[in-house]
Amino acid sequence: MLSKMQGLTPIDPPRTVRIRFRKVGKLQYISHLDLQRTMQHCIKRSGIPAWYTKGFNPHYKLVFALPLPVGAESECELLDLRIDREISDAEILRRFNETVTDELRGLEAYTPTTKFADIAWAEYAVTLTGTAVTDGMAAEAERILTTSPLMMVKRSKSGEREVDLVPMIRSVRAEGGAGELTLRLVLSAAGADYLNPELVVTALRERLWAGVEHPDTLSWRILREQVYCADGQTTFR
Amino acid sequence: MNQQIASILKSVSKPGRYSGGEYGETVKDKGNIKCRWAFCFPDTYEIGMSNLGVRILYGALNREEDVWCERVYAPWVDMEEKMRAGKIPLWAHESGDAVSDFDVVAFTLQYEMCYTNVLMMLDLAGIPLTAAERGEDDPIIIGGGPCAYNAEPLADFFDVFSIGEGEEALVEFARLYIEMKENGTYTRSAFLHAAAKLPGFYVPSLYTVTYRDDGTVEAYTPVYDDIPAKVTKRIIADMDKAYFPEQVVMPYIETVQDRIMLEVYRGCIRGCRFCQAGMIYRPVREKTPEVLDKQARDLFACTGYDEISLTSLSISDYTELEELTDRLLSWTEGETVNLALPSLRVDSFTKALMERISTVRTGSLTFAPEAGTQRLRDVINKNVLEEDLMRAVKVAFEAGKTQVKLYFMMGLPTETNEDLAGIAELAEKVVEVYYANPNRNKGKHPQVTISVACFIPKPFTPFQWEAQDTMEMLKEKQAYLSSCIKNRHVRYNYHDARTSHIEAVLARGDRRLGAALLEACRRGFHFDAWEEHFDYDRWMALFADCGIDPAFYANRAWGLDEVLPWEIIDCGVKREFFLRERERAYAGSTTPNCRQACSACGANQLGGERTCCPKCKA
Repeated sequence: MLSKMQGLTPIDPPRTVRIRFRKVGKLQYISHLDLQRTMQHCIKRSGIPAWYTKGFNPHYKLVFALPLPVGAESECELLDLRIDREISDAEILRRFNETVTDELRGLEAYTPTTKFADIAWAEYAVTLTGTAVTDGMAAEAERILTTSPLMMVKRSKSGEREVDLVPMIRSVRAEGGAGELTLRLVLSAAGADYLNPELVVTALRERLWAGVEHPDTLSWRILREQVYCADGQTTFR
Repeated sequence: MNQQIASILKSVSKPGRYSGGEYGETVKDKGNIKCRWAFCFPDTYEIGMSNLGVRILYGALNREEDVWCERVYAPWVDMEEKMRAGKIPLWAHESGDAVSDFDVVAFTLQYEMCYTNVLMMLDLAGIPLTAAERGEDDPIIIGGGPCAYNAEPLADFFDVFSIGEGEEALVEFARLYIEMKENGTYTRSAFLHAAAKLPGFYVPSLYTVTYRDDGTVEAYTPVYDDIPAKVTKRIIADMDKAYFPEQVVMPYIETVQDRIMLEVYRGCIRGCRFCQAGMIYRPVREKTPEVLDKQARDLFACTGYDEISLTSLSISDYTELEELTDRLLSWTEGETVNLALPSLRVDSFTKALMERISTVRTGSLTFAPEAGTQRLRDVINKNVLEEDLMRAVKVAFEAGKTQVKLYFMMGLPTETNEDLAGIAELAEKVVEVYYANPNRNKGKHPQVTISVACFIPKPFTPFQWEAQDTMEMLKEKQAYLSSCIKNRHVRYNYHDARTSHIEAVLARGDRRLGAALLEACRRGFHFDAWEEHFDYDRWMALFADCGIDPAFYANRAWGLDEVLPWEIIDCGVKREFFLRERERAYAGSTTPNCRQACSACGANQLGGERTCCPKCKA
């Protein structure tokens, strides 16, 4: 939106800004590819002075950290974009939030000092609810997720292979009783070792409730809450 | 969204089709709403979200404070299966509430092959399928869109049809509903009787149809004296003042039309004799460049789309195209927004125009000569000369294009093998034009794709009485044309004649087809517009089991003195005009376009601003 960019001083070279945003509720059903496309339109209508690639098919250079699987929600999605006019981080966040619904709201905008490649771990809150959840399952879930080998078929770019999930699970804390079970998981998010939380839920379902499929008796919610650096302690920013 | 739906969304393909929550959707407080509309598109979300008409009507209805219009799309087959298994009724996108709880359930009828989806959706909603079975607590089921011009096959299932343009009519309909609910006069039958008196509303149950012994229609008789004998379509008189959405719902998932669609004008000056759209949307009414430019800017500001498509039946016929593109280009280039012009006519395709538009980027251009010889093009009144086509492709090739698509029709009235061979010859001449260009890229070769559809006689066209070629004839013609194509740079695609045959049956169908559609629903027909779900043999078995002869509707030359099932509707263009045009077709003579001369089709009696009809009533 050129009208919103009038009066902004050009900066060369462009600077990078990182936006942390949520992707919750109905937005959990939108694939990463569709999110990328959606963000192009959002940034365009927002009037954020984002830098364009100058090629045959001009578009914004948007870089996302850790694609979120469909069906999972998040409070810590990260997006890097480049800005070619002077504008404050607060104003970027304000403009961003004018163009999205609350389920995709921007939470902060800042100048990053890290690279997405530094992300090593991600923390998830997984809630399983329904009549299929019974007393004593918390301890059983912890035992399953910490007892090696926990073999599952993992899909990646290079194909499918059976792997032990336990080394990719940094910590597991489970609580709750009949009707609801909450798991706090810290899973690997480092490159090829990235562990999809949905796969962990599948591993649990196959072991805790072999054969249960009916949606009335079991449903689950996955929420990514935080991402960490290699030490598993330092919050990635 | 309830828990049960949420769980199912994790196990179906493309759940973003069903989740809703888009930027720009309208959510209202139910407590303040007096009329809840469920606006249903009987096909997938990706197709339905791309429909400009639905976007306009959604906005026009939601502009009314006490009306809340929501969207509903046909669930894809995997979702339908899960919904049936979990006994989950069809729900509306915005609120997640069951469609059966709405006051009005509207269906847009864009193509005949979606009829089975209409019934599938009613069935999933748990709404009684036929109007006769519905009680006081059931929603009013209303249909509209191009197929409503002959919705007789669906007459049993709809309470009412909206004929013509809906921006004003649907609001009046909602107001009538609210008024009668509030003053206590509402009963289902009283409301429908009152609606039948609103201009542009057809209540099929209030007209009795009788048939002759030969199966043709004898008469349509209104059951009340105070309802019109024929229902005249509605138009928007002044397109500049017509409601146009300033905010649109932004889909998260990719849809067919992921761009700004700017409707430049309604109607078409051309009068191609096979074309229903060219007749039923008359008279031509243009918007001014000032208004269009403002609408485009507003839409850009609220969508962030990077392409504007100028949509109208034949965009290059817009009288102020240059002024409009100048205005748009003055800001779109700076915003890196592309202009796209679909549906170009060869006689208007110039170098100057091509430089303005970005369809150039896509690498392929499409033209529609429709017929292979000048004789047949004159018969169908497609006023396109071979020189025009050759000049247009020359411009395209000189600009570096290598791919050209040509659209044709097969089975047109008076067609001979010579006309079919002409299609192949025309394509080969286009290839020759490519090689005649001395500056061509010597390493590249052209590709000319000819796409051939089967002619379907449509209501409210000069060809509405014509017989469709039988399947055998069409297959023979396809094989013959195939044998005529020798050039390896010409690629030949043809439409499935079987779909065209069923489409012809439904297009000219009468109320007796309702029994077959009801049975189709029982047998689980759905997504018949999708090749993978269309089964011709199943359709033929269905017709046979219901005692319906499809040839009676599709392959019969209808009598010129017959009462046509769709003549309960007055589309503005008169029967006399269609008859005159039919005679001229058989005489091989063309008719000037509306800008050159008025051929007295009758549509100017409907009024309209910025039309090209010299004798307009308004």
